[in-house]
Amino acid sequence: MNKHPITLTINNQEYSITVAGHHTLLQVMRDQLDLTEVKYGCGRGECGACTVLVDDDNEKSGRKAIDACLALAATMDGKKLTTARGLGENGDLNAVQQAFVDESGIQCGFCTPGMVVKSTDLLEKNPKATEEEIRFGLEGNICRCTGYVKIVDSVKKAQKVMTKNKKKK
Amino acid sequence: MPSSRILPEFELLMPQSVEEAVKLLKKYKAKASVMAGGTDVVVSGTQGFATEAVISLAKVPGLDYVKFSKSGGLKIGALATLQMVADSADVKKNYPALYKSAAINGTPQTRNMGTVVGNVMRASPSGDCACALLALGAKIVFQGPNGKREISIDEFFIDYKKTARKADELAVEIKLPAPKTGVVSAFNRITRTTLDLSKINAAVCLTVSGGVCKSARIAMGAVAPKTIRLIDSEDLLKGQKISDAILDAISASVGSQISPIDDVRSTAEYRREVSPVLVRRTIEEAIG
Ligand SMILES: Cc1cc2nc3c(=O)[nH]c(=O)nc-3n(C[C@H](O)[C@H](O)[C@H](O)COP(=O)(O)OP(=O)(O)OC[C@H]3O[C@@H](n4cnc5c(N)ncnc54)[C@H](O)[C@@H]3O)c2cc1C
Ligand code: FES
Ligand code: FES
Repeated sequence: MNKHPITLTINNQEYSITVAGHHTLLQVMRDQLDLTEVKYGCGRGECGACTVLVDDDNEKSGRKAIDACLALAATMDGKKLTTARGLGENGDLNAVQQAFVDESGIQCGFCTPGMVVKSTDLLEKNPKATEEEIRFGLEGNICRCTGYVKIVDSVKKAQKVMTKNKKKK
Repeated sequence: MPSSRILPEFELLMPQSVEEAVKLLKKYKAKASVMAGGTDVVVSGTQGFATEAVISLAKVPGLDYVKFSKSGGLKIGALATLQMVADSADVKKNYPALYKSAAINGTPQTRNMGTVVGNVMRASPSGDCACALLALGAKIVFQGPNGKREISIDEFFIDYKKTARKADELAVEIKLPAPKTGVVSAFNRITRTTLDLSKINAAVCLTVSGGVCKSARIAMGAVAPKTIRLIDSEDLLKGQKISDAILDAISASVGSQISPIDDVRSTAEYRREVSPVLVRRTIEEAIG
């Protein structure tokens, strides 16, 4: 009765699964689909460790960041989603992920999948974001280790690389 | 192992239309909760509050709109997210109080999920859009088994989390009046960090002509069991030239109209101390 057959496209791979109505997207991604890069921090929208991108036609960039812990999996039927694992092409790191590595924006790494997903979303929407805008855009992502300075540095580095790459193209 | 990401079991219903949603509400009444963005429904679930059924609007088409016209005013559909409202240039220009209450609400992720209509329906005394929309004189459109009903937001908030919505009604739209010359508004709130809920918030909407205040609506949140209007302060302002003396009088009038409590976010004492300041600042911001 409370079982819902759904199809999700995650990182370009299609999953046709049956989910319980009260299970969150986070729970289904981690426990049913083994996509453990989507982290469980707080389970109530405060920390952003579970951030994923969902395709949305209303958005200029075509997608937007949401907290997987606040979405019921069944309500996401038919959606296209991206996690940290699917940000780059062919399994490579995207510019944001590479910048987090280069600038030491990662310490324990627990917040990182959410941070790189949200930072990618931020730079897609606002390629010229100022430091203040970067900090405001990352307000829904908590990091217990870095003190945020290195994270902001990483996003600024990614911004530079992305602008350069755009000019080359 | 108990974990806050495990929700209690409930039946998830996903109607495909407003009519179907209303039929389900008629059947389940208070045994079901409506879910728009789910940012409150899911969090309450993690805290053990869940109804027998949840009626998700995810598959109901045509509710995710923010429409504006100079003569008709603003219309916000039940699935318009906080971010959609914050991104609307028409909202920013014509209803600055609403713009700010949506733009600073929660986190970027919760703004992408949560709705403005849900913020009002939730009827939390600290709701930010609820406060702004009370000052702006919004109207709420419900769809029930016997058709549509429109009420003023003045009649909506009854008591702590108690509202004029009937258990078989779905809120489909919130409307704001068309902008008029001289109408200004502003919203402000006090929080520890931006992602916190408001310790207190305030919104004002004034009609000003030649420095004289023709009409005034002043709303406050998190200082009473529900979002309230400060009618006495409004009366002091109406018909007056806005001066320092009037603003002093308004500040002095706030205390007797609020009944703040101590809770996790703040103390009654702090709220009492800061409310008059916030109201004054918000009026000053509105008149620019
Ligand atoms: C991390 C975090 C931070 C937050 N910060 C803020 C903040 O700064 N300010 C603030 O005001 N709020 C905040 N909130 C609360 C919440 O995000 C907002 O109130 C949001 O606007 C709720 O919208 P929703 O669509 O997600 O509501 P839902 O959870 O879907 O619903 C909320 C309530 O309204 C009812 N409801 C929703 N839609 C309808 C409808 N169409 N008809 C009838 N009933 C309906 C539901 O049954 C439920 O009772 C925060 C929440 C989180 C998790
Ligand atoms: S686990 Fe989703 S926001 Fe913390
Ligand atoms: S690196 Fe440890 S939480 Fe951010």
